[in-house]
Amino acid sequence: MTWQFLLDQFAAQFALWWVVWLGILLGIVVGILPGFSPQNTLIMLLPLTLAVPVEQALAFMVALYCANHLAGGVPAILMRIPGSGGAAATTLDGYPMARKGQAQQAIVLSFTASVFGGLITTLATIALLPWLSKLGLYLRSVEMVIIMLFGLTLIAVIAAKDTLKGLISGFFGLLIGVVGTDHVYSEPRATMGFLELYDGVPLVAALIGLFAVSEALVMIEEKMIVEDDARERAMQASWADTIEGLRITVQKWWHIVWTAFIGLFIGIVPGAGASIAAFVAYQQSRMWSKHPELYGTGIPEGVIAPESANNGVTSGTLVPMMALGVPGGSTAAVMMIVLQYHGMVMGPRLFSTNPGLAYGVFVSMAVAYIFMIITILPLARFMARIVLIETKYLVPIILLVTIVAAFSERQYAFDMGLALVFGVIGYIAHKTNYHVTAMLVGVILGPLFEQYLVRALRISEGDLTVLFTSPVGNALWALLVFSLLVPLARSWWQHRASRSSPPQP
Amino acid sequence: MQKESRALGADLVIPALALAFAVYFFFSTADLVWEAKANGVIIGTALVILIAFQVGRVALRIMRGEGGLGLDPIWQPREMAWKRVGLVAITALFIAAMPWLGLTLALWLGMAAQLWIIGVRRKKILFWLPTATAASVYALFIAVLDSGFPHGPVEDLLAPLLAMVSR
Repeated sequence: MTWQFLLDQFAAQFALWWVVWLGILLGIVVGILPGFSPQNTLIMLLPLTLAVPVEQALAFMVALYCANHLAGGVPAILMRIPGSGGAAATTLDGYPMARKGQAQQAIVLSFTASVFGGLITTLATIALLPWLSKLGLYLRSVEMVIIMLFGLTLIAVIAAKDTLKGLISGFFGLLIGVVGTDHVYSEPRATMGFLELYDGVPLVAALIGLFAVSEALVMIEEKMIVEDDARERAMQASWADTIEGLRITVQKWWHIVWTAFIGLFIGIVPGAGASIAAFVAYQQSRMWSKHPELYGTGIPEGVIAPESANNGVTSGTLVPMMALGVPGGSTAAVMMIVLQYHGMVMGPRLFSTNPGLAYGVFVSMAVAYIFMIITILPLARFMARIVLIETKYLVPIILLVTIVAAFSERQYAFDMGLALVFGVIGYIAHKTNYHVTAMLVGVILGPLFEQYLVRALRISEGDLTVLFTSPVGNALWALLVFSLLVPLARSWWQHRASRSSPPQP
Repeated sequence: MQKESRALGADLVIPALALAFAVYFFFSTADLVWEAKANGVIIGTALVILIAFQVGRVALRIMRGEGGLGLDPIWQPREMAWKRVGLVAITALFIAAMPWLGLTLALWLGMAAQLWIIGVRRKKILFWLPTATAASVYALFIAVLDSGFPHGPVEDLLAPLLAMVSR
């Protein structure tokens, strides 16, 4: 791969600007709608993507995919309704920022973290593709069990304010995540006789219920989303707030870089996705922060970490597809169908037989991110005004449109009813301070954790020591233990320091 | 000074739901092989232990006279309780009626009813907000994405127009 080759690739992708823009606009619209995933949109648009030339189809799909990941953070920040599982962790600090009248800064941070996180990891992927494609081979079920545990420790982090309630929420979510057929014998478990639950609890219905429906039911108590004392500030928001968001982005550039790489590495593993990456990045960001106690109160790092990571995933997911012929996620699988229809054979040979297309995917992604920042940044100011709309108009829209979106994932009316049930549970949890995010962490990661654990145990014929047999796994174990000990050590140290310091007069 | 009495019963609603689900899980998976139920049994057992701690904690606080078994936090503020019940009921009706009325009409009716329940009385808003929302949803989900939402009179009426445009 030469510089000239790369420049030609970039020029070719820039020439498809209109396709990229179309993908970005549609990706943003469906990304803002909770539950409407990129793979659903791409499946519905298959007749279009199969009909146009492969380069255009690819540019459109990649742009839509990246924009979808970016846009999920918008409703998470403005209404505490994540557009996708990958944006669920964004609600933890994004929504408190919006309530404090800093919606515009939060949205700008979300956009810049997403775009720069996505762009950096895409460029890194282009440069390191041969090595990155091998990384997926080292991360097997044993290592994935430990990566899942990283995500699950977020339950303990969320539970910090009321440990018992947080843990009950998390474990309730984990148990809900067990519903469905098991991974070995396909025996249905706790499905209550509903065939619709054989594949497990649909994540979109849980997400919409726990966040959107429950939040709408709570929201009616207030006139607007923004707090009364921050209303004045939100009303006076101007371009200066966009610039303030950009200033914070520059200040926190390193935070964007390292959390984006968490997303990239997790994205490379087939089956892992943006939700895990975002939760792990948030947990790691909090752990390494000098002020972990501020997380959850509305701080920029709490928005940057999950948003940067869930866009870092976008390029990672495509690595195993292009290099090994194994799709890293469901969106990648749909893209693979389109590429195969056009006669492309994925795998190592693609780089020698059609390097233009192989690298073109990632160049197309980089171009999409460049276009995205130009397109979406000016919109932050106008999007932020949603927090000033009276809730009596917002609540019916949120309730019914998100319930409609619950249908779109699997096209079962059952999922809409399930979202409503989760909504009522989420509302009760909300009013009694049981954290719905902890519940969602359990629902998302529970089935994945079980899947990898059972797979590892099947390979080892039930021997639990398999979890400690791989060098990469052992390094991850050490890091996990270290992650858990750091906060404890830090609080002990602070406690000791406060005891030894002389009392204030 | 009299101590404020808290409605601690509300703190037990989620544990009660979780316990009911855990018990159902244990009974419904009792006959399965261990690989199928091991994960759920471990999680469920931990959940039951945590719930026992929470029940103990609430019981202790009630014995200390810090509160009673009321459910006030869930219902309060009282003036909103019926609005909430109304919103949930209309959403359930919307889900039930959608197969007959189609997405667009069901959404229009559901939204108008919810706006009214929530206290909106201006006729223009009661008409135009549901119309704009239903039209946007129709345009995205039916006209552009052609997803599998149920069709009703509005969709049938607009189908020839849509066919003409897509041609």
